[in-house]
Amino acid sequence: MDLNQTTDTVYQRWWKGWLSRRLPPQNRVTLAHKSIFILPTGFGLIWLLLVVLLFLFGTNYQNNLVIALSLLLLSLFNTCIIYSYRNLAGMTLEAKTGPHVYAGQTVLYPVYLSANQVQYQVTLSYGDNETQTVANVTDKAVQTLVPFASQRRGWTHPGRLKVESRYPLGLCRAWSNVDLDNAQIVFATPIASVTQLHQHLQDGTTEQPLRGRSTQGVEEFKGLKPYVFGESLHQIAWKQLAQGRGMLTKEFEQPLSAPTWLTFNDKHPDLELQLSELTWSVDQLSEQEQAFGLVLPNQTYMPATGQHHRLASLKAIATIDRISTKGNLG
Amino acid sequence: MSHAQGEIIGRQSLLWLLVVNTLVLLPLYDKMTPWSMGICAICLLWRLGIFSGKVAKPPRYLVTALAVASAITLALVTSQIGMLNGLINLLILGYALKYIEMRDRRDVRAVVLVGYFLIAITFIEKQSLWFTIQLTLVATINTCVLVSLYRNSDSLRSTARLGTQLMLQSLPLALFLFVVLPRLPPLWLVPSANNATTGLSDEVSFGDIDQLTRSTALAFRVTFDAEQPNNAELYWRALVMENYDGKRWTQDESIKKIERAANAAANRKPPQGPFLSYEVITEPSRQHWLYGMDLAYSSEADILNLPDGRLYAVSRVDKKLEYRVSSFKEAILDRRLAPNVKALNLALPEKGNPKTRALALQFKKDHPEPKARLTAMMRYFNESPYFYTLRPPQVGPQQLDDFLFENKAGFCVHYASAFAFMARTTGLPARLVTGYQGGEWNRTAGYLSVYQYMAHAWVEVWLPQSGWTRYDPTAMIAPSRIDDGFDAFFNPQQSYLLESPFSTLRLRQYPLLNNLRLSLASIDYYWSKWVLGFDNERQSMILKKLLGDVTSTKLAIFMLVILATIGLAIAYSVGLLHFSRQQDKVVAGFEQICIMLAKKGVSRPINESPSDYYKRVLQHYPGLRETLNPYIDCYITLKYKPLSDAGRKRVLNRYRQTLHQARIAILRLNKTKIAP
Repeated sequence: MDLNQTTDTVYQRWWKGWLSRRLPPQNRVTLAHKSIFILPTGFGLIWLLLVVLLFLFGTNYQNNLVIALSLLLLSLFNTCIIYSYRNLAGMTLEAKTGPHVYAGQTVLYPVYLSANQVQYQVTLSYGDNETQTVANVTDKAVQTLVPFASQRRGWTHPGRLKVESRYPLGLCRAWSNVDLDNAQIVFATPIASVTQLHQHLQDGTTEQPLRGRSTQGVEEFKGLKPYVFGESLHQIAWKQLAQGRGMLTKEFEQPLSAPTWLTFNDKHPDLELQLSELTWSVDQLSEQEQAFGLVLPNQTYMPATGQHHRLASLKAIATIDRISTKGNLG
Repeated sequence: MSHAQGEIIGRQSLLWLLVVNTLVLLPLYDKMTPWSMGICAICLLWRLGIFSGKVAKPPRYLVTALAVASAITLALVTSQIGMLNGLINLLILGYALKYIEMRDRRDVRAVVLVGYFLIAITFIEKQSLWFTIQLTLVATINTCVLVSLYRNSDSLRSTARLGTQLMLQSLPLALFLFVVLPRLPPLWLVPSANNATTGLSDEVSFGDIDQLTRSTALAFRVTFDAEQPNNAELYWRALVMENYDGKRWTQDESIKKIERAANAAANRKPPQGPFLSYEVITEPSRQHWLYGMDLAYSSEADILNLPDGRLYAVSRVDKKLEYRVSSFKEAILDRRLAPNVKALNLALPEKGNPKTRALALQFKKDHPEPKARLTAMMRYFNESPYFYTLRPPQVGPQQLDDFLFENKAGFCVHYASAFAFMARTTGLPARLVTGYQGGEWNRTAGYLSVYQYMAHAWVEVWLPQSGWTRYDPTAMIAPSRIDDGFDAFFNPQQSYLLESPFSTLRLRQYPLLNNLRLSLASIDYYWSKWVLGFDNERQSMILKKLLGDVTSTKLAIFMLVILATIGLAIAYSVGLLHFSRQQDKVVAGFEQICIMLAKKGVSRPINESPSDYYKRVLQHYPGLRETLNPYIDCYITLKYKPLSDAGRKRVLNRYRQTLHQARIAILRLNKTKIAP
């Protein structure tokens, strides 16, 4: 379900296919001759023009020194090709999971760069996004955050990362397009919708602010925490103590009321708006530490609280497929 | 723009630019009009101000106004300074003005490219080895500007190092291309600077050669195929002047017409008889005439053999020119003289110089036979109290009378003029010849250098039996000038060194330094011959020497091999061919140990871990524990444990030691095993 590729020309499609065959997606890539492309830059072409000009100039004046200068510049260009290859060859790129973002925000994909030999002025970019420059790549892997402006919710693949270098004279552009296989889920853009949250709340009877909240109590086991001197011996986790895990206290809590249920509405006219509002609701409830459950067309999340629950819910919302909601696939 | 931040010019780049700007413009000082020089100075100062943070960037309208103003002024003076100089000045101004209004990296790149072009322009005029070294240095610094764009955070030294490294790595390929690339003839006519660099001109009057005599510049060099002749025979003819108007001698229109037409039909046939062959390398003279002794003949395609025995270059000598000449010393120049030519060489102004005329007629009366008469005239110059001086007293309208009877002092032009005048008066066709006399012999490199101060003028008189015959009255006044060369006669400090305080010719008085000067001069000679004069002929000579018979297959293989070698050498020098050498060394050492142990009967399956293998080895040879244990420890540490740089180095050192010990121990194992 790649949402990004919609308007490719035949050539672009062919190029992408060729690239994916040559440089298959990998989380960790070391650049070598197979993955490095080198072409002259605009400045490089002008440089070659100067070489031709000087050669003609030297020929017309029958001046060997001018001819020699033009050949030296030509040779310098050749040397730069080797240098620009060297400046990428052996570089290792490794992608790590990035922070979570909402659609419309910029994802900063962390990429770790390292190389056996020092490499200079390497730029990283995703498509038309802002370019990130790394001044020195050394044998110690350094994290670089490469921005990518996400536009849609759901699985987002930033595409191929362009690693580029014009070092040392800017005559040649050495570059590689690597697919670091670092797709990640972008959450739907949250849109505030008090009414929706209220709709969910109206079915209950308890006091609204307390809904879904819990307090310390005795009914439901919540977890273990380190023992504090003076606490009741009844609550000490003896089993864990016997296992040698130290003195821990069992914590219990008591829900204040029934949890909130966020439900996906099939009949809602605007799918994206609904998902955005659901996202907002999840964040809102999580912030207030209220337990909530989530009912989506394909899956249901039982009421819970906590960061983990929030992320699972947001991911589920973000990845709802447009087609299935129309009932075609059910 | 996303690139905006990266496009800002760093401070280091600015510093490099400041340096390179000065260095590029300095050698061009003699090309600049005062106007452009002023603007360049302003731009430089302004940049210096910007660099030190005292002045703001000039507003764009000011730069535009300056550019327009200077372009207009240039357009106005172009007719005076010539097309090429005009263009050069335009480029220089563009360079300086672009430099001052530079805003981003693109501007820097433009400035750098123009810088290279200006360096090339400097090469048009200045081609000595010294200048080439200097300009190569400037080109390197110009490259450093580009490097600094990508290494801005680094120190100046590392930028300089990288720039130099790039240049050095590029030199072999450039050299190779220089040798193998065919030289083409000029593709179209180009404008050139029109200031003459020789003092000889196509007209001579009193005082002309004087200026020339003071110049220590090299005129040309000669390599003789066989023995070189005596100094007294080295009369290098450049121009023949047949018209005399009482004040100055000029070339006749008829010969100029032949020169202008420059068609091969005018070429005379090669003379008969014994000849002397030699090779001449002239310095650029911005003139057409060439130098040769006696009746000179050259079979080069672009050289015209003029009827008066001289050589003439079809295209102007704007760069060093090398040509072969044969001189036919015994050949007779013009056995018969056409009536119009005879009349021309007898023509004199109707009036003027009555005393000189009277003297000449007296000679005619005393010596009716022409040869005897001329000898008598020569003797007259010898026996009368005449002086040779480079600073003759002023003469009035009756030039020759004043010279012969009042001043009695002068230099070659005076004596030659008087002699030719007198010969004509007595009915002998005579003409003035200018050129150079003598030369300095460089023994180490085996060539003769002729300097501008060796310029000379003498007379040729036509005699029915022997044709045009050379008479040099100056030799009568100052014989040592001719026999021993100019330097023997004059104290150099008083004549030609007067105006060139830094000339290396001053070193002549110190033998050791003079040797040094001569060897430097030979380097310069080889430089002219092999670099500046490198042409298709030399190229095929070199290729023949390298390859034997040059076939296209051989040439192609040769090119490929050299190119591949150069490519690999560069790749190696930038560190492309040994990526994980250290790692390899470690593994290679271990594998070597494994092979050695396998020979002793304990081979290692590919899936066995080093420590397991070690244990198994100990079962067979417990004696190895002492040496093998530290080795295996080091190996495992290097291979599998994360280490700091310093730590890794330390372990690597230890690894090498233990590897050595382990090897020896395994080798010794053999002996101990054989013993029982």
